[in-house]
Amino acid sequence: MTDSRWVGRSYETAPFEVTEQSIRDYMAAVGDLREDGELTAPPTYAMVYGFDAYWQLWTDQEVALDVAHLVHGEQRFNFQRPVRPGDRIRTTGRLTAINARGDMELVTFELKARDAEDEPVSDGTALFIIRKP
Amino acid sequence: MKTMSTLDFEQINAGQTLPSLTKHVTVEQIRQYADASGDRNPIHLDESFARSAGLPGVIAHGMLTMAFANQMVTDWLGDRSLLKGLYGRFAGMVLPGDDVTCSGSVASKNDETRRVVINLVVTNQRGEKVFNKGVAEAEFPATKEQ
Repeated sequence: MTDSRWVGRSYETAPFEVTEQSIRDYMAAVGDLREDGELTAPPTYAMVYGFDAYWQLWTDQEVALDVAHLVHGEQRFNFQRPVRPGDRIRTTGRLTAINARGDMELVTFELKARDAEDEPVSDGTALFIIRKP
Repeated sequence: MKTMSTLDFEQINAGQTLPSLTKHVTVEQIRQYADASGDRNPIHLDESFARSAGLPGVIAHGMLTMAFANQMVTDWLGDRSLLKGLYGRFAGMVLPGDDVTCSGSVASKNDETRRVVINLVVTNQRGEKVFNKGVAEAEFPATKEQ
C-alpha cells in the first residue's frame, strides 16, 4: 500500500510548447484526421501536454507507486478552450487521494493546465488502479 | 479527409444516436500512440514485461480508447472546440487485434445553456464494454459565426 502521507504532493510540468507537428503526430496516432479549418488539437491531447505531470508521479521514488501493476481506471476532463499551435501550457498535477478497495489501491490525481497568460486551458481527474501483484 | 461542417444545434434531439466509430487496434498503433503521447510504460510496449505484470500481453493505453470516443463525438459535432467535458471508466483491457466500436446517444439538450450531454460506451468485438459510463458535454455558441 502506498503511504497516504504523500496525499497532497504536487508536480508541475515545464511549459509545453504546442507545435503543429506535435498535434499532427497525435492525430495520426489516434487516427483522428478530420480537418477543422484552423488546426485544433483533439481535446484528449490534454494527455500529451500534461503527460510530464503523470510521469513525475509515476516515477516519484518516494511515493513509489507500483507502476508495473498500475492501470488507468477512470478519466475526467473539462476543456476551457481549444488548443492550437503556439500555445505554451503548464500543467500542475496533485495527488489527492489514496484509497484501498478490496485488494486494489485507488490513486486519484487532479490536474490543471494553464496557458502563458495563466488562463485555464483544461482540468482533469485521473483515477489509477493498482492491482495486487 | 472531411472538411469543416459544424452541426446545427437546432437539429439535435434528445435520444438521437450518434454515428458509431469502429477502430482496429494494432501493435503498431499502440507504439505510435506511445511515441506521440510520451507514455512508454512497458505494459504497452514489451510483451514479456506485460506478461510478468500479470497481463495477457501488451495492452493499449486507456487514453487511446478515450481518444476514439472523443473522435466519435467531435466528428459528429464537426468542431473540436465545442467539446467542454469528457468522462469515462476504462472497464476492460484493449489488446492488439481488437476491434472496438464507440457508440453514443444524446442524453439531454438544454436550449438555454446550449449544452448537449452525450452518453458513450465503447465495446470490443465480443460485445464486452471496454469504456463505460462515458459522458461528453458540448456547448454551442449563442449565435452562429458568419
